[in-house]
Amino acid sequence: MSLNIYGQSLDSRLLIGSALYASPEIMKKSILASGSQVITLSLKRQNPSKQSGQQIWRYLQEIVQKVNGQLLPNTAGCKTAKEAVTLAKMSREIFQTNWLKLEVIGDDYNLQPDPIELLIAAEQLIKDGFNILPYCTDDLVLCQRLYDLGCEVIMPWASPIGTGKGLMNPYNLETIRLRLPQATLILDAGIGKPSDACLAMEMGYDGVLLNSAIALADNPVLMAKAFGQALQAGEQGYVAGIMAQRQTAHPSTPTLDTPFWHQNN
Amino acid sequence: MNIHINGQAYPLAHENPISVSAALALYFTEPQQSTFAVALNSDFVGKADYEQTMVKNGDSLDVLQPIQGG
Repeated sequence: MSLNIYGQSLDSRLLIGSALYASPEIMKKSILASGSQVITLSLKRQNPSKQSGQQIWRYLQEIVQKVNGQLLPNTAGCKTAKEAVTLAKMSREIFQTNWLKLEVIGDDYNLQPDPIELLIAAEQLIKDGFNILPYCTDDLVLCQRLYDLGCEVIMPWASPIGTGKGLMNPYNLETIRLRLPQATLILDAGIGKPSDACLAMEMGYDGVLLNSAIALADNPVLMAKAFGQALQAGEQGYVAGIMAQRQTAHPSTPTLDTPFWHQNN
Repeated sequence: MNIHINGQAYPLAHENPISVSAALALYFTEPQQSTFAVALNSDFVGKADYEQTMVKNGDSLDVLQPIQGG
């Protein structure tokens, strides 16, 4: 089953970051192994004589073409709406896409998104024609406000970026899914292991965005494959319909015609 | 006059504002070979406006290039 983001149909429900890999070659192999078709990247100041950004840019272009995918520029490092809007416009010019992972960080300790600046930036960028994928906290009302502004995709965090702590507040995440049934929900940040991604999909989330959990694994290529499979398992489990939990035990094996020596107990 | 490009000071021997294109020539050996976008004093400047947009004393230019991201 495909994932639809702003009218684009994607075979994979995994959105993958391009940072923290030991080498560009491992990055490429990992992205290809994951099956992901959406790859995040960023813009930074760089030494003009080294041209390292130029090399990475060519590499990522090759990968995106190979997977028939889509680049997703982010606004990492921005702390105000104004900074994010400027960086978004710079990204659009370079990457030739209206898609934007909107990040506006409000706290340096846990890199928690600033909900106020995020809303201001989202409103401005939507007016400027961007298709926003906002990275936000697991606050239902914030997610609702972003959706009301026109964000078809909302990306609440599982836990702070790079922590690998998994889903900190499953209740909050389930409530967001329940209350925003029409929104495309991508769980972003804090994913540590494949079962975290599987759990998000079992909740009915539409996809997962992650980077560190793959890039920092002992074997990133194998981990990328594992995440791809975990998402598929979680999605199929959700679609199949998970049984209701019960308070008491129920034998799986039929009790009818139980041998007599059991009946005496 | 003094301008800053990516935080680095570029002292110029005159006080006449220069175009963004001229400023980029100070920064890159071959700007046309690079992929980048520009902000002047934290406001985006599109490529079509590099010739007309002037950089004056005290201005800061940011020249950003693609990099890996999460």
